[in-house]
Amino acid sequence: MYVDLKMRATINQKLTEMGERERLKELLRAKLTECGWKDQMKAHCKEVIKEKGLEHVTVEDLVVEITPKGRALVPDSVKKELLQRIRMFLAQHAT
Amino acid sequence: MSPAGCSHVNGYKVDNWKQNLRVIYQCFVWSGTAETRRRKVLQNDAGWTALAKSCICHICGAHLNRLHSCLYCVFFGCFSKKHIHDHAKNKRHNLAVDLLYGGIYCFVCQDYIYDKEMEQIAKEEQRKAWKLQAGIGEKYTTWEPTKRELELLRHNPKRRKITTNCTIGLRGLINLGNTCFMNCIVQALTHTPLLRDFFLSDRHKCEMQSNSCLVCEMSQLFQEFYSGHRSPHIPFRLLHLVWTHAKHLAGYEQQDAHEFLIAALDVLHRHCKGDTTRDDNGKKANNPNHCNCIIDQIFTGGLQSDVTCQVCTGVSTTIDPFWDISLDLPGSSTPFWPLSPGGDGSAVNGESHLSGSTTLTDCLRRFTRPEHLGSSAKIKCGGCHSYQESTKQLTMKKLPIVACFHLKRFEHSAKLRRKITTYVSFPLELDMTPFMASSKESRMNGQYQQTVDVLNNDNKYALFAVVNHQGTLESGHYTSFIRQHKDQWFKCDDAIITKATIKDVLDSEGYLLFYHKQFLEYE
Repeated sequence: MYVDLKMRATINQKLTEMGERERLKELLRAKLTECGWKDQMKAHCKEVIKEKGLEHVTVEDLVVEITPKGRALVPDSVKKELLQRIRMFLAQHAT
Repeated sequence: MSPAGCSHVNGYKVDNWKQNLRVIYQCFVWSGTAETRRRKVLQNDAGWTALAKSCICHICGAHLNRLHSCLYCVFFGCFSKKHIHDHAKNKRHNLAVDLLYGGIYCFVCQDYIYDKEMEQIAKEEQRKAWKLQAGIGEKYTTWEPTKRELELLRHNPKRRKITTNCTIGLRGLINLGNTCFMNCIVQALTHTPLLRDFFLSDRHKCEMQSNSCLVCEMSQLFQEFYSGHRSPHIPFRLLHLVWTHAKHLAGYEQQDAHEFLIAALDVLHRHCKGDTTRDDNGKKANNPNHCNCIIDQIFTGGLQSDVTCQVCTGVSTTIDPFWDISLDLPGSSTPFWPLSPGGDGSAVNGESHLSGSTTLTDCLRRFTRPEHLGSSAKIKCGGCHSYQESTKQLTMKKLPIVACFHLKRFEHSAKLRRKITTYVSFPLELDMTPFMASSKESRMNGQYQQTVDVLNNDNKYALFAVVNHQGTLESGHYTSFIRQHKDQWFKCDDAIITKATIKDVLDSEGYLLFYHKQFLEYE
């Protein structure tokens, strides 16, 4: 468990240092917009706001409501592509 | 979540708070590129590594879990695991900033707050960091209505919601006497997304004195189509204008839909003078070859013609603009087979060769094959200064946003006039990469095996309209299939609109095929 966390931190560090993290974020943003995920999430947010009422809803309410749905709706193809990019990057910069 | 902010920030807004806040945004939130981080914050790689390492939770070491930075001291904590909450309670530091999105959280209000001054600082730092990132320029910001626009929206409360199965934009057209050739082109044009967006956002500024501007009439037509009325529209004014401006199409006999398309695009292009972009001096671009009207932006492509001298192998290249690609069919008097080698077009476009049926990519391969011009058509070669035999090859230099393919079904040769009814199968999605001038250059440089670059989306097209002709050369009828939303197809037979399946569309004969680029990039 500890090893896993350390590995995550190392990978993240490497990605951040070389600016790859930002590039991957932009790629992911573009992909999620293209496939309509962003619009789906927007629509879901609006529903939650309507339910809870505009005056009372907090950001936390929205985060709790849409996080599971958002995670579930990411297309497999997008996940695959991101994973492939990260693998390629790590292979190129292996120490 | 009041837009007026919360009173608890007042405790923070003392001394040099603005500069402190800026530093937090610069270093930890909008860090921009490695360059900006290196330049703004630290001087060496080791120190830079320390920065990346420091963006972790001080309690558990995680870098995910919605990391927040305390605004009062140097402390990072997870939001999800409540580590930053504990810190806030223990130290009574009530404000923290979300390192992912830059939002300010107030632990007393227990929500993100929006303070005008802090928002201003956040926006400025974000813009600065974005500008420094290579090759992006301005960050995209969402549209916010102006005061005037808000006023208009309040005065006009009617709203139309577009759901996946609403059919707004779909309307039949009355046949005014053999005008089905015009009707099906109108259906294709009103369903061209970029054209629709242009007209619905009122981008046409008319400079014609008379009432005979076809672009204005198109604008009216879009208003009619998107009005929500379901009764068929009677396009008599459009027909009259077309007769006025394209006299060869006047009269009540059946005309060719393809001819009408070209004539309509030509008149629209000429009448778009008021909308051409202005150059830096505010002068209008008067050059007819450099028009930037909406028609040119959407429909104009560049066709490259390479003539190679057989003796000195010198190549003479010209590039001509085009609005459509006319493709010869097997069964016509022009020879169709054999095709050039290295035909990987079909593999890329996944068309099924149903026991020898011709595909659209077959026609495109034939169109872009090198053609020997023969001894009776010698060209004067600039290289060897004499008349020599040569080969000619056409490729696409620049692809238009909307590509229209015209299958030459109507043969008007000296010997005979007939309609070629050979079935040509066409795909829903088309990759034009094999027919590009750049692909041809790679092939010539010996790179025969071109790996299909899945990440390059520039040449991918999607079918959105099909115009079909039923009957004979003497008496026939035009209908069209058009696509709404992602995969809903409708058959437009003058005033009658019916739902159609993708199979109906792909099984149809096909006369004019309209493809739209799938991915649009900014220039």
